Amino acid sequence: ETWDMPLAYAASNYHSENATQFAEEVTEATGGELEIVAHPGGSLFKGGEIFRAVRTGQAPIGERLISALGNEDAIFEIDSIPFLATSFDDARKLYEASKPALEEVLELKGLKLLYAVPWPPQGLYVNKEVDEAADMEGVKFRAYNAATARLAELMRAVPTKIEAAEISQAFATGVVESMISSGSTGYDRKIWEHVKYWYDVQAWLPKNMVLVNLDAWNGLDEEMQAVVLEKAGAAEERGWAKAEELANWYKEQLAENGMTVAPPSEQLAADFKEIGQTMMAEWLERAGDKGKAVIDAYQGME
Amino acid sequence: MRDLLTGLDRALNRIYTFAGAVAAGFLVLLALCVALSILTRMAGLYVAGLTAYSGYAMAASAFLALAYTFREGGHIRVALLRNRLAGRARFAVEVWCLGVASVFSVYLAWYLVRMTEISWQFGDKSEGADATPLWIPQSALAAGASVMALAAVHALIKTLLTRDIDAPFSGSSQTLSE
Amino acid sequence: MIEIGYTAIFLAVLFLFLGTGVWIALSLIGVATIGMMLFTARPVGDAMATTIWSASSSWTLAALPLFVWMGEILFRTRLSENLFRGLQPWMNRLPGGLLHVNIAGSAIFAAISGSSAATVATVGKMSIPELRRRRYPERMIVGTLAGAGTLGLLIPPSITLIIYGVAVNESIAKLFIAGILPGLMLAAMFMAYVMGWSLATRQSDDFAAERYGWGERVRALGQLLPVLALILAVMGAIYTGIATATEAAVLGVAGALVLSALQGELTWASFRESLLGATRTSSMIAFILAGSSFLTLAMGFTGIPRALATWIADLQLSPAMLIAALTLFYIVLGCFLDGISAIVLTMAVVEPIIRQAGFDMIWFGVFLMIVVEIAQITPPIGFNLFVLQGMTGREMDFIARAAAPMFAIMVLAVIVLYLFPGIATVLPSHM
Ligand code: NA
Ligand code: NA
Repeated sequence: ETWDMPLAYAASNYHSENATQFAEEVTEATGGELEIVAHPGGSLFKGGEIFRAVRTGQAPIGERLISALGNEDAIFEIDSIPFLATSFDDARKLYEASKPALEEVLELKGLKLLYAVPWPPQGLYVNKEVDEAADMEGVKFRAYNAATARLAELMRAVPTKIEAAEISQAFATGVVESMISSGSTGYDRKIWEHVKYWYDVQAWLPKNMVLVNLDAWNGLDEEMQAVVLEKAGAAEERGWAKAEELANWYKEQLAENGMTVAPPSEQLAADFKEIGQTMMAEWLERAGDKGKAVIDAYQGME
Repeated sequence: MRDLLTGLDRALNRIYTFAGAVAAGFLVLLALCVALSILTRMAGLYVAGLTAYSGYAMAASAFLALAYTFREGGHIRVALLRNRLAGRARFAVEVWCLGVASVFSVYLAWYLVRMTEISWQFGDKSEGADATPLWIPQSALAAGASVMALAAVHALIKTLLTRDIDAPFSGSSQTLSE
Repeated sequence: MIEIGYTAIFLAVLFLFLGTGVWIALSLIGVATIGMMLFTARPVGDAMATTIWSASSSWTLAALPLFVWMGEILFRTRLSENLFRGLQPWMNRLPGGLLHVNIAGSAIFAAISGSSAATVATVGKMSIPELRRRRYPERMIVGTLAGAGTLGLLIPPSITLIIYGVAVNESIAKLFIAGILPGLMLAAMFMAYVMGWSLATRQSDDFAAERYGWGERVRALGQLLPVLALILAVMGAIYTGIATATEAAVLGVAGALVLSALQGELTWASFRESLLGATRTSSMIAFILAGSSFLTLAMGFTGIPRALATWIADLQLSPAMLIAALTLFYIVLGCFLDGISAIVLTMAVVEPIIRQAGFDMIWFGVFLMIVVEIAQITPPIGFNLFVLQGMTGREMDFIARAAAPMFAIMVLAVIVLYLFPGIATVLPSHM
């Protein structure tokens, strides 16, 4: 059996490399009985299509950014609530706390979660020095969904709609002056050509997840399932380690290319913490009891 | 019988024209959405989903205009063989082309309708800030593809009945530049 | 081995559908359907619907119908006529005369539009009737438009360069800058060809009968102003950050409407006609793009492009041979796929080969742009050919033959770029 596995990000991205390795390992361990073929760079289905494609069986397996699915269910947004989990350790805890709820929602949609790997923490890119949230007032801030628009609003920045494909041009021409994104985005787009400051605020650590269609999953015998799960577990560990290693590497690269890379000032961190509280309260209203249970579990963890 | 067919033919043509007019409306809507996205940015406002709405309007415009464009001879093809042949052979090739076109336009319409249905059942929402239930914009595609399928089958039957391969496109067959 | 058999069936069906005259968009859908049924057990129809929906509703394409509309509006005013009247005194002594307008016009329009279909549709809409009226040979009108229209990819802004830049993590700003000189070089090569053709055939004598004094020339410039002002305004909006490159198209529409109103030519009838014309052309192009996106998906499932690229990688070629092989590879692939699809389907395999061979990725991006520009004008599936067929009503074989010299020029441009890589790298290295 052959499983085509659509991946949204470029072949050289560590998520794609990791998933490709996972695919090869499964193929090898099953002696080719289950061959998984990775298709990176959106070459099979593009990011926005992958969730639906896996759900309807057009592709048996695929990878998607979890928080992109927030409109499906608020639980998918949990890893992008600003300033809730702001380190790899916290992000891991939040993942463990939210996993049962996540799996439950996915199962209802006919899907099984194989593994999830984070992106490097989200930092604040801005074209001037920022010491407190008030410095963001009037700054044109990239908004690409409801949450980032709300975040801009709370910082009293100007939410500016820019699509991913237009980021570089928008910064070059001054359409936008600031955004929150991971170090990798800035590195990939050579953002230092346009922006000079990166504050390591670690706003959130969004994750990609690898999903498999339940019908396809149930079509495997138990032995094969065990192999896939084992390799998925290995891919998850590998991915988390790689993300942490890269987070530092990206930071160094940004600095090396002339950007001022700095932790947030105490005031800025405190201001952001407060904004985070507001946004979490708003999220809890949408997510209801299920969301509250996850947050409680997370906050109860040591 | 003849009157009935002529009446049906006229009614179908009116459907294509009407869908084409709606498609033109969506093109205007696309322009307005894009203009609004410039204006709101200048005003420092964030309107959720303008990008998505532009995309939906564009898709609706393209698909609703399919049948109208087909009748006006606006969809292109390699007419080499058709123009080299004459008489029965030419007629046969045209029937083949219309047959293939009918099969695949019906196939397309079928699956676009099915996609819309599944989106509706699943309650699929757009991943963007607009969070639009996807069946709404998708139904414009499904409708446009269905009218296109109707037009292809209509053209096939009309060609078979009239034995005139230009009959389905006689609505007005101006090319765009003339 | 069974794959080779399937591939043969795939190609046979493609040529059967296209060759017998099945509408192009529906041919692509048909071929992709059959191909996917042969190569995979996945649900074909549902995958088709998903892909077509996402390709048709994608924001990156939104500029296309708007630029087409802008062309339709300008075409219905005296503006396009004036543009040519204004240029005539300046260009009639130049061998090839106003044919150069197709090339220069495309190069200028390429600076506001990211796509080659939009460039051909907009420039062609204005220039074809004017050049026909002046009795330039149809073959040259069509050929120059087909070739120069591809400059939309090389001269920034360019959707295709963005896709490449994102795929290989290179600076999009640098890629854009890198595209400028090669774009101008290619335009100059097209112009040189037109001059050479004119001198060789002495056809220019027919068009250069009238003589113009400098007074007339200066006065003629006034007629150029409206269209020039429009293009400068759109360009200005992009580079001052008022609008993104996609959004700028709507300023083109608004500007064209204002100009046509100022000329007293904006009536309900002309508005309606321009809108319906744009609706038809956009629908035709969008339908082919939809079919093509599905064909790309089917090709992805078949694994043919990737297998070919892997095969090339395994040959262990010298750098020069590698570039030659890749040129050939993309030309063949470009016969069946548009440029963006060809890049997306192969970059995962090609990128490491190129990096390993030590090529500058910015240079390779420019190389790739010219090679996939070629795809726009090669049959059976070439978007510029399709757009031109829609606009001229000519047969595909005529248009493809008219474009053939441009194909040769572009291959020559690839060779020049290989021999003198500085053409692409000198500007970005100063950033
Ligand atoms: Na361009
Ligand atoms: Na081609």
